[in-house]
Amino acid sequence: MSEIETTGESRLEAISMDDDVVDAVKKKLGVGFWIAVGWLGLLVATVVLAPLLPFDDPDKLASGPARTGPSMDNWFGTDALGRDVFARTVYGARVSLVVGFIAIAFGMVVGGSLGMIAGYFRGRVDQVISFLFFTLLSFPGLILALLITSTFDRTLRTVSLTLGVLAVAPVGRLARAATLVFAEREFVQAARVIGAKHFRILTRELLPVVLIPMAALALLGMGVAIVAEGGLAFLQLSVEDISWGVIINDGRGIRDLQENPHVALMPIGVMFLTILALNFAGDRVREYFDVRETAF
Amino acid sequence: MKQFILRRVAQLVLVVFSVTFLTFASLNLVGDPLFNIVGVLSGIPDEQCEAVARGEIEDTQSSGLNVGDCALIAQAKEQNNLDKNVAERYGIWLSDMASGDFGTSFVNGDEISDIVKERLPVTIRLIVLAQIVALGIAIPWGVASAYRANRGFDKASTVGSFGLLSIPNFALGVILLYFFTLRWQIFPSRYENAGWWSELKALTLPAFTLGLGLAATYQRLLRTDLITTLQDDFIHMARAKGMSDRHIMYRHALRPSMFSVITVFGVNTGALIGGALVVEQIFSIPGVGTELVEAVLRNDPPVVISLISVVAIGFVLINFFVDLMYGYLDPRVRTS
Repeated sequence: MSEIETTGESRLEAISMDDDVVDAVKKKLGVGFWIAVGWLGLLVATVVLAPLLPFDDPDKLASGPARTGPSMDNWFGTDALGRDVFARTVYGARVSLVVGFIAIAFGMVVGGSLGMIAGYFRGRVDQVISFLFFTLLSFPGLILALLITSTFDRTLRTVSLTLGVLAVAPVGRLARAATLVFAEREFVQAARVIGAKHFRILTRELLPVVLIPMAALALLGMGVAIVAEGGLAFLQLSVEDISWGVIINDGRGIRDLQENPHVALMPIGVMFLTILALNFAGDRVREYFDVRETAF
Repeated sequence: MKQFILRRVAQLVLVVFSVTFLTFASLNLVGDPLFNIVGVLSGIPDEQCEAVARGEIEDTQSSGLNVGDCALIAQAKEQNNLDKNVAERYGIWLSDMASGDFGTSFVNGDEISDIVKERLPVTIRLIVLAQIVALGIAIPWGVASAYRANRGFDKASTVGSFGLLSIPNFALGVILLYFFTLRWQIFPSRYENAGWWSELKALTLPAFTLGLGLAATYQRLLRTDLITTLQDDFIHMARAKGMSDRHIMYRHALRPSMFSVITVFGVNTGALIGGALVVEQIFSIPGVGTELVEAVLRNDPPVVISLISVVAIGFVLINFFVDLMYGYLDPRVRTS
């Protein structure tokens, strides 16, 4: 993009093109994107530095009087057992973000490789892999997650990888579609002509271009994984540790909601802002790189 | 068209087999189903019982067994076909299930087909109601946005739908429960089924919980498609004939703009089924979701397998019919 703007000739070309292209040249990520990234950065920093910052122990009982609203001592108030809701939200963010990150990383590595292999080699390989994706998508997502966590255990690793399995098919389909398109392009044919091996073409030529649409999907997918973890927590099938879902589930009893709704509503607010930031950033990246396939 | 349907049916059969087999195998291979029927007795090694059968050791206290233990295990194995391998058991289970016999719960001996008959209609009503809510909101909303695209209302809608899509459904459920049930006491806090009116009231909030996010998805798609359709010649024609804008939007432009909504309708039903599990928990609705979670927590594999299979098959069927409908509406799909 920047090349077009700097060289005089290209600029003339750009102007003579239709309005859409000119818009594309002018396109920026925008202030909203940086606010979203800022929020995510703040969240990650807080989560990483949590043990060093003067927050209460999230499991400490009676760190303030029970069932009080937000105050200077307890920013988000306290729950029925007197635990500090702010500290719990911060430590809950640790689990939620880690689950979201591992899940989408797993989906990118496994789904991305399978999708690229399917899109590059096509034929039989493609049929088998596409059928695998199709079968995975035939399970309603949460049902598959429930099946896996109920057969295995509920450690952070299992829950993250389970949600990672759910990400395989959508990511894989996108990678396959993008690879199908790019594999026909001149730069790939050129690589083939000079005798590059399949592995080299896949990793050096195709991976960098396929990664762009996948990056947008990764941001959106991380939000989906964080929400899915919360859903599992509501079914009491998520991690035994505290996550956002676990905290919200703890505070949603009729009595809790009636007497101290902030126990559920405060983490809901933080979670909403985070999902919003991920969705917004993902959407902006997608528009910025003009990715058309969404695969969702 | 015929070939298209045949190919889809073949795909459907394959997927139903793989989905049910995956469910069946994962719950049978991991964990010991025998343990759920006979408890600690399942810990007795097979060799020991074989030795008893051959008469080599006595089936009494002296060998660490109680009288009749082995007979009990043998009986449990035979009744539940546990003496056969997983593939055989899968075959038996599948043919039983096809004839409507879902077996019984390991834990309380309930007929699973009764559970399904009792629970499934509630969940189906919830999902249908959620779809009605979603479409009921999305259609007028999408039309209003597309009618004056990129103006004030449309821009506000974009922000609004973006926000709705970022609220997890369980969070929305908790928020709605807090305001509408606890604060303003408009809706009952308990599920009641004394006639259709009380059930409708009990299902309204859960349906909105599931439907609002979906409405935002549909609105986005409908808006985009409508804007494209509105560029078409037949719309100019209708306008030139002096038809009212409302008539043009709803009668002329809406139907050819529904393709994207129909496509995601099937996929979204899957999300709705997952969402229904969670939302049923929040509003304590006695549907498939609450039963499934209870069955998982009380470690009752036959019930879990049956419920997951029923739900998964239902989902596959819905997508199958959506595909068919799509192929019927848009000829290009049949050949691809």
